[in-house]
This record gives sequence, C-alpha cells and structure tokens, in this order.
Amino acid sequence: MREYVGGGTLGHIAALQDAQERQRREEEAAWWKEEREALQGLVAPVEQMCEAAEILYRAALVSAGFRRHQRGEWRRKREPKE
Amino acid sequence: MSPKNSLDKRQPAGDSPALDMSAISRGELNESEKTVEKLRDLLRLAAKGAKDAVPEIRQILDEHPDLAWRFVRVAHIVEDALIEKMTKEGDLATREIMRCQLEAMREEVAGENPSPLERLLAERIVATWLQIQLFEGLYASGMSKSMTIAEGGYHQKRLDQTYRRHLSAIRALAQMRKLLKGTAMTQINIADKQVNTIG
Repeated sequence: MREYVGGGTLGHIAALQDAQERQRREEEAAWWKEEREALQGLVAPVEQMCEAAEILYRAALVSAGFRRHQRGEWRRKREPKE
Repeated sequence: MSPKNSLDKRQPAGDSPALDMSAISRGELNESEKTVEKLRDLLRLAAKGAKDAVPEIRQILDEHPDLAWRFVRVAHIVEDALIEKMTKEGDLATREIMRCQLEAMREEVAGENPSPLERLLAERIVATWLQIQLFEGLYASGMSKSMTIAEGGYHQKRLDQTYRRHLSAIRALAQMRKLLKGTAMTQINIADKQVNTIG
C-alpha cells in the first residue's frame, strides 16, 4: 500500500521507517529460510531411515509370501493348485 | 533488536552440527542405500506381478542379513543429533536422561528377542516419536513468541506429517508381528550375539 506523507523532514522520516521495516522483514525472511534448511537437514536422515525401514518391512513380507491387496492390507498369496 | 536475536530464544534449529556418521562407514552406508534402492525397484516390479522379482528380493535379503542392523545404527546416530538439537548446549544431564528414556522405550517397543527387522521398526517408532517432540517443542515455543503465520503453518504441516509417519511406523510393526507370527522364527546364538531369522 502506498501512502503519500509529503516531502521535507516528515517525508524523510517516513522513508527511513519504511527502509527499516523492509530490512527487518528481509532479515526475518532470511533467518526463517536458514531455520527451515537447518530443520530439513536435521530430519532428512530420519526420513531416509524411515523409508529404508519401510522398504525392508515390505520386502520381508513379500519374501514370506504376502502381497498387498489394492495398496491396503497384506494378504498371503494363494499358491496355484498342482 | 535484530529478528535473529529475538527469535534465537526459541531454540531454533540454528546451525545443527553435521551428523557424525563415524559409527558407520560412509562406504557401508552407501552400499546399504543402494541395496535398499534395488529392493524398492524390485518391490515395484513385484507389485506389478513380475514373478522374477520375489526370488530376487529373497536372495538380496539372504545375502544381506545385516542390512536392518546397519539402519538401526543409523537410527541411533540420527536420534543423538535430534537430542542435541532439542537440548541446550552443554546440558549433558538432560541429554543423558533423554537417551535413557529412548532406550527404555526402544526396549519396550522391540519386545523380547526382537529380530533385526523388529528392532529397526521399533527404532523407527522411537525416531518418529522424537521428531514429534521436536516439532511440538518448536511449535509451542513459537506460539508464545512472535511466530508468523508462515512459520506456524510450516510447523503445523511438519507436525501432521510426523504424526502420520509415527502412526504408520506403529502399524508396520504390529502388522509384521501379526502376519509373521505363524512363520518359523529361528533364534541362533553365536557367541554373545543373537541372530533371529525368519523363514
């Protein structure tokens, strides 16, 4: 939003306030970006480990003869009759 | 006061120290990741009905009996990093209490004589629980300070994701126990090390 406050001393003060506010917002945004990246770096290994556990769990079930029915429950695969 | 100073009191993620993976070699980790990647591809093929995929999955699991243990070790390292983040620098007592608490939880969830996979699934439950504590802590401390809508939304989203992961981890362990209950489980003790095999 733009607001005309005139020139002279008053205008100068308003411009300074605007600049300070802009700088504060930029600093805050930069801090928050850094914070998010650091958090992401911290939780990424947890997520990788969880992913690996999930794959090993599914592989164990599949190798034990189970299959996932319509991406839902696990059912034992029927062996074809001889 | 700069925003960084005013926000620092919230115990931000800050410059979290790089994870110390010295307990598990980089080569070992890369190899395990590649094996898991291969398993993921084979699982996709198996889901599409590829008959060759299942014997290959079995073969990989047989050839890499220590795969689950490797990720258990990764989980310990990851948990330590989370604990460091959640506690003040130098607060060794709180860190030790948290480690003991996690150890007790781990033992309780894994149960008696857990198989390596059960142990890994228990680790996943503990790690996701710890993640929930982290995000709840960050969210709560942010609520009492000047948290912006974007920050609040981010933490809320993260919390939701972590809760879903935690529930899915619990479900996986319960399901595995239920489904593989009837499967023969052999326990072998070699020296002081116990190896459980399913098959």
